[in-house]
Amino acid sequence: MTDKTSIGIAELDRSLMNGVPKGYTILVTGAPGTGVELFAKQFAAAGIGSENVTYFSTTEGDEDVKKAMEEFGWEQDIRVVNIGKMYYEKVLAKNLEVSKYRQEGLKMRDILQFKMSQIDQTMDINFLTTLTYGISKLKPPFRIVLDSLDFFLEYYEEGDVLSAMRTIKAHTQLNEGIALVTMLKGVFSNRIESGVQDIVDVTIELERLREGSEFKRNILIRKVRNHPEKTKILSCVIDDKGISAKSL
Amino acid sequence: MDENKNNSVERERCPTGIDGLDNILNGGIPRGNTILFTGSCGTGKTTLSLEFLVHGALADENSLFISVTESSDKLTQNVIPYDFFEESLIKKGKLVFVDMPIIYERLGLTNVEFSLEDVDILVRAIGNLVDELSIKRLVIDSITSVCYRLKTEEKIREFILKIGKTLSTRGCTSMLISEISPSADRYSLYGVEEAIADGIVLMGNMERRGDLLRTLQVVKMRGTTHSRAKYVLDLTPAGVLLVPLLKGGGG
Repeated sequence: MTDKTSIGIAELDRSLMNGVPKGYTILVTGAPGTGVELFAKQFAAAGIGSENVTYFSTTEGDEDVKKAMEEFGWEQDIRVVNIGKMYYEKVLAKNLEVSKYRQEGLKMRDILQFKMSQIDQTMDINFLTTLTYGISKLKPPFRIVLDSLDFFLEYYEEGDVLSAMRTIKAHTQLNEGIALVTMLKGVFSNRIESGVQDIVDVTIELERLREGSEFKRNILIRKVRNHPEKTKILSCVIDDKGISAKSL
Repeated sequence: MDENKNNSVERERCPTGIDGLDNILNGGIPRGNTILFTGSCGTGKTTLSLEFLVHGALADENSLFISVTESSDKLTQNVIPYDFFEESLIKKGKLVFVDMPIIYERLGLTNVEFSLEDVDILVRAIGNLVDELSIKRLVIDSITSVCYRLKTEEKIREFILKIGKTLSTRGCTSMLISEISPSADRYSLYGVEEAIADGIVLMGNMERRGDLLRTLQVVKMRGTTHSRAKYVLDLTPAGVLLVPLLKGGGG
């Protein structure tokens, strides 16, 4: 497994192993506003042409993802799997409907519209299973972006989410693909954060500090599997070309 | 509920259309009563309740069957063999079948155990349907399956009381089907249902000279005098036939 692939940020690639080894799973964390979502898209764009890029989105719509990529001048030839939309359609929209019936009562036509055969279909869909199944079907060379893990941590047991993470990592490793997972910083318990960090090969944290009347941005390489000497802090600039890094 | 009044004034009856049963009840079930039809499986509870509804529909009383366990498509097949059944009753909306799982689904009652709020919402939804369709006769088959989701005596009590009140204020005469094991020494699975219902009709199996007979007995019925004797029940294409178990026995 000597093949490397680009993370999408030149200086970051250099600081790691002149790219990231194929088979790696990368975690990107940061507080809101640090550019985690943008990082995910830049990473996705870096794979276009050489890898099949699949972007699992939990909050943004397909168009939003591609539009953001377009605005930064990147190619958009990726597949977006919109888990957020699926969740809306299968769960939230149903909850809305249910709350209406609970409030206003039932009419016969509401019952007639519904067939017994539909009941099984609307049984709880496990989106975690949907995700791991979707990933298991990907053919190499693939690049996976999961933006973000927060959605799953919010709705599923942490043990199940960690187990899904291990499945994703194993599949990525075995097929020499590359995966990037995003997670908000400081929202979930230390246990979850360290659990996820333990599974991934590389952890990158985006940081934004206030210095007087300006923000100062940093990219923290927090973990590189078997290469603790590579952990370091890079200075980060975000402009209309996207995210770039400079060694301090 | 209003027993004092009933002693002096004869309550209006809802004839079941099953001659034997109407005789036992001196003309039928007092209108608005909620009756527990209880018995082990295969005793004819569903069949009898369907017949009660078909007769209602024929007499121009809109009738509603809420099926909890069996799909209503299958049930409609069961009423077709009756001589007196007319398919137009269903088409005209005189006889309506509703699957309880669809009501659960629509109301988001997907938890294994219902809350007290869920109970209220469920009762209200049934009340809505009774209002909308001007239902005069209702069967819930079975109430035991609903009770499984209620779990506690408190909630079962709440449910039966509220459903009884909801239906009686609308002048809807109702049969709640209750399943018990043959050996049970009470009339309902949870023991709560029987205490609250306006009436209890016990259905059973009895072995006699190698035959398994179906039996029916009116144990309790508010608002009317009635025989408490045991009757033998026969399911025929002409409907349910009842004959006294002991001829000449002092019922």
